[in-house]
Amino acid sequence: MAISAALTLTSAAGDLTTNALSLTTSASLTKAGLSTAISQTSGLGRKTTATTDQYTLFKADEYTADKAHKVYLKNTSSNAAYYFLITIDDEPLGRLYAGDWALIPWSATGGTQAAFSVTFASSWATDDTAVFDGVTITLGAVETTAAMVDLVVAAKYPNWTVVETSANVATFTAKDSNDLSLIEEGAASDDYVITTAGSGTGTVARTVAPVASANDIKITPGGSSTNEVTLEHMLFNE
Amino acid sequence: MATTASMQLNSDLMTGVLSASATSTLMKAGTTADGLDQMKMGYNKIPTGTSFDLLDATAGGIDKAAKVYICNESTDETYYVTIVIDAKTIGRLYGGDWMFIPWNQDDATHDLEITATGGTNNVTWICFHEGETLLTQGD
Repeated sequence: MAISAALTLTSAAGDLTTNALSLTTSASLTKAGLSTAISQTSGLGRKTTATTDQYTLFKADEYTADKAHKVYLKNTSSNAAYYFLITIDDEPLGRLYAGDWALIPWSATGGTQAAFSVTFASSWATDDTAVFDGVTITLGAVETTAAMVDLVVAAKYPNWTVVETSANVATFTAKDSNDLSLIEEGAASDDYVITTAGSGTGTVARTVAPVASANDIKITPGGSSTNEVTLEHMLFNE
Repeated sequence: MATTASMQLNSDLMTGVLSASATSTLMKAGTTADGLDQMKMGYNKIPTGTSFDLLDATAGGIDKAAKVYICNESTDETYYVTIVIDAKTIGRLYGGDWMFIPWNQDDATHDLEITATGGTNNVTWICFHEGETLLTQGD
Protein backbone atom coordinates (compact mmCIF):
# COMPACT_ATOMS: atom_id res chain seq x y z
CA MET A 1 0.00 0.00 0.00
CA ALA A 2 1.11 3.54 -0.60
CA ILE A 3 -0.05 7.06 -0.18
CA SER A 4 1.55 9.78 -2.26
CA ALA A 5 1.26 13.48 -1.65
CA ALA A 6 2.51 15.73 -4.44
CA LEU A 7 2.84 19.49 -4.27
CA THR A 8 3.46 21.99 -7.06
CA LEU A 9 4.12 25.64 -6.37
CA THR A 10 4.31 27.90 -9.39
CA SER A 11 4.57 31.59 -10.01
CA ALA A 12 4.83 32.87 -13.57
CA ALA A 13 7.43 35.39 -14.65
CA GLY A 14 6.37 38.82 -13.58
CA ASP A 15 3.98 37.61 -10.89
CA LEU A 16 5.70 37.20 -7.56
CA THR A 17 9.11 37.97 -8.99
CA THR A 18 10.35 38.98 -12.42
CA ASN A 19 11.50 35.41 -13.00
CA ALA A 20 9.28 32.38 -12.97
CA LEU A 21 9.33 30.19 -9.89
CA SER A 22 8.47 26.54 -9.80
CA LEU A 23 8.79 23.84 -7.18
CA THR A 24 7.53 20.29 -7.29
CA THR A 25 7.84 17.75 -4.54
CA SER A 26 6.29 14.42 -3.77
CA ALA A 27 6.26 12.38 -0.61
CA SER A 28 5.11 8.90 0.25
CA LEU A 29 3.29 9.17 3.54
CA THR A 30 5.03 6.59 5.68
CA LYS A 31 4.93 5.55 9.31
CA ALA A 32 7.21 7.24 11.81
CA GLY A 33 10.80 6.16 11.24
CA LEU A 34 9.84 3.53 8.68
CA SER A 35 9.52 3.24 4.92
CA THR A 36 6.18 1.43 5.13
CA ALA A 37 3.06 3.36 4.29
CA ILE A 38 0.68 4.81 6.82
CA SER A 39 -2.13 2.31 7.01
CA GLN A 40 -5.15 4.15 8.35
CA THR A 41 -7.27 7.06 7.24
CA SER A 42 -10.40 8.81 8.35
CA GLY A 43 -11.43 9.05 4.70
CA LEU A 44 -12.44 12.27 3.04
CA GLY A 45 -15.09 14.12 4.98
CA ARG A 46 -16.85 17.46 5.13
CA LYS A 47 -17.85 19.65 8.03
CA THR A 48 -20.34 22.44 7.52
CA THR A 49 -20.47 24.85 10.40
CA ALA A 50 -23.63 26.49 11.65
CA THR A 51 -22.27 29.01 14.11
CA THR A 52 -19.06 30.89 14.75
CA ASP A 53 -18.33 28.55 17.65
CA GLN A 54 -15.15 26.54 17.78
CA TYR A 55 -15.50 22.93 16.61
CA THR A 56 -13.21 20.03 17.44
CA LEU A 57 -12.29 18.22 14.25
CA PHE A 58 -9.89 15.54 15.53
CA LYS A 59 -9.37 14.52 19.16
CA ALA A 60 -5.78 13.71 20.04
CA ASP A 61 -6.89 11.18 22.67
CA GLU A 62 -8.06 8.90 19.88
CA TYR A 63 -4.67 8.59 18.18
CA THR A 64 -1.15 7.57 19.15
CA ALA A 65 1.09 10.50 20.00
CA ASP A 66 4.30 11.45 18.20
CA LYS A 67 3.75 9.54 14.99
CA ALA A 68 3.77 10.70 11.37
CA HIS A 69 0.08 11.61 11.14
CA LYS A 70 -0.92 14.06 8.41
CA VAL A 71 -4.08 16.13 8.18
CA TYR A 72 -5.46 17.50 4.92
CA LEU A 73 -7.84 20.47 5.14
CA LYS A 74 -9.54 22.56 2.49
CA ASN A 75 -11.90 25.50 2.78
CA THR A 76 -14.46 24.87 0.01
CA SER A 77 -16.00 28.34 0.18
CA SER A 78 -15.85 30.61 -2.85
CA ASN A 79 -16.49 33.77 -0.82
CA ALA A 80 -13.14 35.46 -0.26
CA ALA A 81 -14.08 36.72 3.18
CA TYR A 82 -14.94 33.33 4.64
CA TYR A 83 -12.16 31.59 6.51
CA PHE A 84 -11.46 28.89 9.03
CA LEU A 85 -9.05 29.61 11.85
CA ILE A 86 -7.18 26.37 12.47
CA THR A 87 -5.98 25.86 16.03
CA ILE A 88 -3.98 23.13 17.70
CA ASP A 89 -5.60 22.96 21.11
CA ASP A 90 -5.94 26.71 21.71
CA GLU A 91 -2.87 27.75 19.73
CA PRO A 92 -3.78 29.49 16.45
CA LEU A 93 -2.00 27.88 13.54
CA GLY A 94 -3.42 30.01 10.77
CA ARG A 95 -6.36 30.93 8.59
CA LEU A 96 -7.58 29.02 5.57
CA TYR A 97 -9.44 31.45 3.32
CA ALA A 98 -11.76 30.48 0.48
CA GLY A 99 -10.14 27.76 -1.63
CA ASP A 100 -7.10 27.47 0.61
CA TRP A 101 -5.86 24.05 1.61
CA ALA A 102 -3.23 22.67 3.96
CA LEU A 103 -1.32 19.49 4.69
CA ILE A 104 -0.33 19.54 8.35
CA PRO A 105 1.85 17.13 10.33
CA TRP A 106 0.12 16.29 13.60
CA SER A 107 1.72 15.07 16.81
CA ALA A 108 -1.64 14.11 18.40
CA THR A 109 -0.44 14.53 21.96
CA GLY A 110 -3.43 13.46 24.00
CA GLY A 111 -4.21 14.14 27.62
CA THR A 112 -4.77 11.95 30.66
CA GLN A 113 -8.27 10.77 31.44
CA ALA A 114 -9.47 11.16 35.01
CA ALA A 115 -10.14 7.98 36.96
CA PHE A 116 -11.63 7.12 40.31
CA SER A 117 -12.57 3.99 42.22
CA VAL A 118 -15.61 3.14 44.27
CA THR A 119 -15.11 0.61 47.04
CA PHE A 120 -18.36 -1.08 48.00
CA ALA A 121 -18.87 -2.61 51.41
CA SER A 122 -21.46 -4.27 53.62
CA SER A 123 -24.86 -5.44 52.41
CA TRP A 124 -27.32 -3.81 50.06
CA ALA A 125 -31.08 -3.68 50.40
CA THR A 126 -33.92 -3.67 47.91
CA ASP A 127 -34.42 -0.21 46.28
CA ASP A 128 -30.96 1.02 47.22
CA THR A 129 -29.60 3.22 44.45
CA ALA A 130 -26.27 4.31 43.01
CA VAL A 131 -26.44 7.34 40.72
CA PHE A 132 -23.61 8.55 38.48
CA ASP A 133 -23.26 10.22 35.05
CA GLY A 134 -27.04 10.22 34.61
CA VAL A 135 -27.32 6.48 35.19
CA THR A 136 -29.29 5.13 38.14
CA ILE A 137 -28.84 1.62 39.41
CA THR A 138 -31.77 0.46 41.55
CA LEU A 139 -31.56 -2.84 43.35
CA GLY A 140 -34.47 -5.21 42.93
CA ALA A 141 -33.36 -7.45 45.77
CA VAL A 142 -30.87 -7.70 48.61
CA GLU A 143 -27.37 -7.91 47.15
CA THR A 144 -23.82 -8.61 48.28
CA THR A 145 -21.04 -6.12 47.58
CA ALA A 146 -19.72 -8.38 44.82
CA ALA A 147 -23.13 -8.42 43.14
CA MET A 148 -23.34 -4.65 43.53
CA VAL A 149 -20.02 -4.25 41.74
CA ASP A 150 -21.26 -6.53 38.97
CA LEU A 151 -24.32 -4.33 38.49
CA VAL A 152 -22.28 -1.14 38.47
CA VAL A 153 -19.86 -2.55 35.91
CA ALA A 154 -22.65 -3.87 33.69
CA ALA A 155 -24.21 -0.42 33.29
CA LYS A 156 -23.39 1.84 30.33
CA TYR A 157 -22.27 5.39 31.17
CA PRO A 158 -22.29 8.15 28.54
CA ASN A 159 -19.03 9.80 29.58
CA TRP A 160 -17.17 7.13 31.52
CA THR A 161 -16.02 3.56 31.16
CA VAL A 162 -15.97 1.22 34.15
CA VAL A 163 -14.21 -2.01 35.01
CA GLU A 164 -14.15 -4.31 38.02
CA THR A 165 -10.73 -4.02 39.60
CA SER A 166 -11.50 -6.39 42.51
CA ALA A 167 -14.53 -8.16 43.94
CA ASN A 168 -15.66 -5.05 45.78
CA VAL A 169 -14.09 -2.23 43.72
CA ALA A 170 -15.22 -0.64 40.46
CA THR A 171 -12.90 1.81 38.69
CA PHE A 172 -14.25 4.52 36.39
CA THR A 173 -12.22 6.24 33.65
CA ALA A 174 -13.36 9.33 31.76
CA LYS A 175 -13.78 8.90 28.01
CA ASP A 176 -12.46 12.39 27.32
CA SER A 177 -9.33 13.88 28.87
CA ASN A 178 -10.87 17.31 28.47
CA ASP A 179 -13.37 16.40 31.19
CA LEU A 180 -11.48 18.02 34.05
CA SER A 181 -14.21 17.76 36.65
CA LEU A 182 -12.97 16.33 39.93
CA ILE A 183 -15.19 13.70 41.44
CA GLU A 184 -15.83 14.31 45.11
CA GLU A 185 -14.14 11.71 47.26
CA GLY A 186 -15.44 9.89 50.33
CA ALA A 187 -18.47 7.87 51.38
CA ALA A 188 -20.86 10.79 50.90
CA SER A 189 -19.81 11.99 47.44
CA ASP A 190 -22.10 14.48 45.75
CA ASP A 191 -20.94 13.14 42.39
CA TYR A 192 -21.31 9.42 42.95
CA VAL A 193 -24.50 9.37 45.00
CA ILE A 194 -25.49 6.30 46.95
CA THR A 195 -28.81 6.05 48.74
CA THR A 196 -29.20 3.00 50.93
CA ALA A 197 -31.75 1.71 53.34
CA GLY A 198 -29.39 -1.01 54.49
CA SER A 199 -25.79 -0.86 55.59
CA GLY A 200 -24.18 -0.65 52.12
CA THR A 201 -21.48 1.94 51.52
CA GLY A 202 -19.59 3.12 48.49
CA THR A 203 -16.39 5.07 49.09
CA VAL A 204 -15.02 7.17 46.25
CA ALA A 205 -11.28 7.74 45.77
CA ARG A 206 -9.69 9.63 42.90
CA THR A 207 -6.95 7.50 41.33
CA VAL A 208 -5.83 9.52 38.30
CA ALA A 209 -5.80 13.30 38.01
CA PRO A 210 -6.96 14.53 34.59
CA VAL A 211 -4.71 16.42 32.21
CA ALA A 212 -6.41 18.08 29.26
CA SER A 213 -5.48 17.06 25.73
CA ALA A 214 -2.89 19.45 24.35
CA ASN A 215 -3.28 18.75 20.67
CA ASP A 216 -6.89 18.54 19.50
CA ILE A 217 -7.37 20.05 16.04
CA LYS A 218 -10.09 22.67 16.18
CA ILE A 219 -11.66 24.96 13.62
CA THR A 220 -13.43 28.27 14.02
CA PRO A 221 -15.28 29.80 11.06
CA GLY A 222 -14.94 33.51 10.51
CA GLY A 223 -15.96 36.24 8.13
CA SER A 224 -19.27 34.60 7.32
CA SER A 225 -22.60 36.28 7.81
CA THR A 226 -24.46 32.98 7.64
CA ASN A 227 -21.83 30.93 9.48
CA GLU A 228 -22.28 28.16 6.92
CA VAL A 229 -18.82 27.35 5.69
CA THR A 230 -17.69 23.90 4.63
CA LEU A 231 -14.31 22.39 5.34
CA GLU A 232 -13.04 19.23 3.68
CA HIS A 233 -10.82 17.09 5.86
CA MET A 234 -8.91 13.85 5.81
CA LEU A 235 -6.58 12.32 8.37
CA PHE A 236 -3.86 9.80 7.60
CA ASN A 237 -2.78 8.11 10.80
CA GLU A 238 -0.94 5.10 12.13
CA MET B 1 -1.93 36.60 -10.74
CA ALA B 2 0.05 35.18 -7.93
CA THR B 3 1.46 31.91 -6.73
CA THR B 4 -0.48 28.73 -7.36
CA ALA B 5 -0.28 25.80 -4.96
CA SER B 6 -1.53 22.46 -6.21
CA MET B 7 -1.69 19.24 -4.31
CA GLN B 8 -2.56 15.70 -5.30
CA LEU B 9 -3.15 12.92 -2.78
CA ASN B 10 -3.41 9.37 -4.07
CA SER B 11 -3.77 6.19 -2.09
CA ASP B 12 -4.49 2.51 -2.50
CA LEU B 13 -5.26 2.31 1.20
CA MET B 14 -8.91 1.55 0.54
CA THR B 15 -10.49 -1.08 -1.66
CA GLY B 16 -11.79 1.81 -3.77
CA VAL B 17 -9.79 4.69 -5.11
CA LEU B 18 -8.97 7.34 -2.55
CA SER B 19 -7.69 10.56 -3.98
CA ALA B 20 -7.99 14.25 -3.37
CA SER B 21 -6.68 17.20 -5.27
CA ALA B 22 -6.69 20.88 -4.55
CA THR B 23 -5.42 23.96 -6.28
CA SER B 24 -5.45 27.37 -4.76
CA THR B 25 -4.12 30.73 -5.76
CA LEU B 26 -2.41 32.21 -2.73
CA MET B 27 -4.35 35.37 -2.02
CA LYS B 28 -4.13 38.01 0.63
CA ALA B 29 -6.59 37.74 3.50
CA GLY B 30 -10.19 38.33 2.48
CA THR B 31 -9.72 38.95 -1.22
CA THR B 32 -9.70 37.02 -4.46
CA ALA B 33 -8.19 39.90 -6.41
CA ASP B 34 -4.83 40.45 -4.80
CA GLY B 35 -2.29 37.69 -4.41
CA LEU B 36 0.30 37.24 -1.69
CA ASP B 37 3.11 39.35 -3.05
CA GLN B 38 6.06 38.67 -0.78
CA MET B 39 8.09 35.60 -0.03
CA LYS B 40 11.19 34.35 1.69
CA MET B 41 12.83 31.01 1.27
CA GLY B 42 15.81 29.02 2.38
CA TYR B 43 17.61 25.74 2.74
CA ASN B 44 19.06 24.91 6.13
CA LYS B 45 21.01 22.13 7.74
CA ILE B 46 19.45 21.71 11.19
CA PRO B 47 21.75 20.11 13.77
CA THR B 48 20.23 18.01 16.52
CA GLY B 49 19.60 19.02 20.07
CA THR B 50 18.54 22.64 19.79
CA SER B 51 15.26 24.30 18.92
CA PHE B 52 15.79 26.98 16.27
CA ASP B 53 13.57 29.79 15.05
CA LEU B 54 13.08 29.01 11.39
CA LEU B 55 10.66 31.89 10.85
CA ASP B 56 10.17 34.87 13.12
CA ALA B 57 6.62 36.09 13.59
CA THR B 58 6.10 39.78 12.96
CA ALA B 59 3.24 42.11 13.77
CA GLY B 60 2.74 42.67 10.05
CA GLY B 61 1.63 39.06 9.69
CA ILE B 62 -1.08 38.98 12.32
CA ASP B 63 -4.41 37.62 11.09
CA LYS B 64 -3.21 37.40 7.49
CA ALA B 65 -3.16 34.55 5.02
CA ALA B 66 0.52 33.59 5.09
CA LYS B 67 1.42 30.07 3.99
CA VAL B 68 4.51 28.08 4.90
CA TYR B 69 6.01 25.18 2.99
CA ILE B 70 8.63 23.02 4.67
CA CYS B 71 10.16 19.86 3.26
CA ASN B 72 12.49 17.59 5.18
CA GLU B 73 15.00 16.65 2.50
CA SER B 74 16.65 13.98 4.67
CA THR B 75 16.83 10.60 2.98
CA ASP B 76 17.00 8.64 6.23
CA GLU B 77 13.42 7.84 7.24
CA THR B 78 14.36 7.74 10.92
CA TYR B 79 15.39 11.40 10.88
CA TYR B 80 12.73 13.93 11.63
CA VAL B 81 12.15 17.56 12.51
CA THR B 82 9.56 18.67 15.03
CA ILE B 83 7.59 21.77 14.13
CA VAL B 84 6.62 23.98 17.06
CA ILE B 85 4.72 27.26 17.14
CA ASP B 86 4.64 29.26 20.35
CA ALA B 87 5.63 26.23 22.45
CA LYS B 88 2.85 24.13 20.90
CA THR B 89 4.08 21.05 19.09
CA ILE B 90 2.39 20.81 15.72
CA GLY B 91 3.88 17.61 14.40
CA ARG B 92 6.84 15.78 12.93
CA LEU B 93 8.19 15.79 9.41
CA TYR B 94 10.15 12.62 8.76
CA GLY B 95 12.71 12.31 5.99
CA GLY B 96 10.95 13.08 2.70
CA ASP B 97 7.82 14.55 4.31
CA TRP B 98 6.56 18.01 3.48
CA MET B 99 3.91 20.29 4.86
CA PHE B 100 2.00 23.30 3.63
CA ILE B 101 0.25 25.19 6.41
CA PRO B 102 -1.38 28.52 7.08
CA TRP B 103 0.60 30.62 9.54
CA ASN B 104 -1.12 33.22 11.65
CA GLN B 105 1.61 35.28 13.27
CA ASP B 106 -0.68 35.78 16.20
CA ASP B 107 1.87 37.77 18.17
CA ALA B 108 5.60 38.20 18.46
CA THR B 109 5.91 34.86 20.25
CA HIS B 110 4.34 32.98 17.37
CA ASP B 111 7.67 32.07 15.80
CA LEU B 112 7.87 28.88 13.82
CA GLU B 113 10.49 26.71 15.49
CA ILE B 114 12.18 23.55 14.35
CA THR B 115 14.11 20.84 16.17
CA ALA B 116 16.02 18.04 14.46
CA THR B 117 16.20 14.46 15.73
CA GLY B 118 18.29 11.53 14.54
CA GLY B 119 21.00 13.58 12.88
CA THR B 120 21.45 16.77 10.92
CA ASN B 121 18.24 17.28 8.94
CA ASN B 122 18.24 19.32 5.74
CA VAL B 123 15.09 21.35 5.17
CA THR B 124 13.80 23.52 2.36
CA TRP B 125 11.33 26.18 3.35
CA ILE B 126 9.29 28.93 1.74
CA CYS B 127 7.03 31.49 3.36
CA PHE B 128 4.50 33.34 1.21
CA HIS B 129 3.15 36.39 2.99
CA GLU B 130 1.66 39.82 2.59
CA GLY B 131 3.24 41.77 5.40
CA GLU B 132 6.35 41.87 7.49
CA THR B 133 7.53 44.32 10.09
CA LEU B 134 11.09 44.89 8.99
CA LEU B 135 13.72 45.49 11.61
CA THR B 136 15.62 48.72 11.48
CA GLN B 137 19.38 48.75 11.50
CA GLY B 138 20.69 47.95 14.95
CA ASP B 139 17.68 45.94 16.06
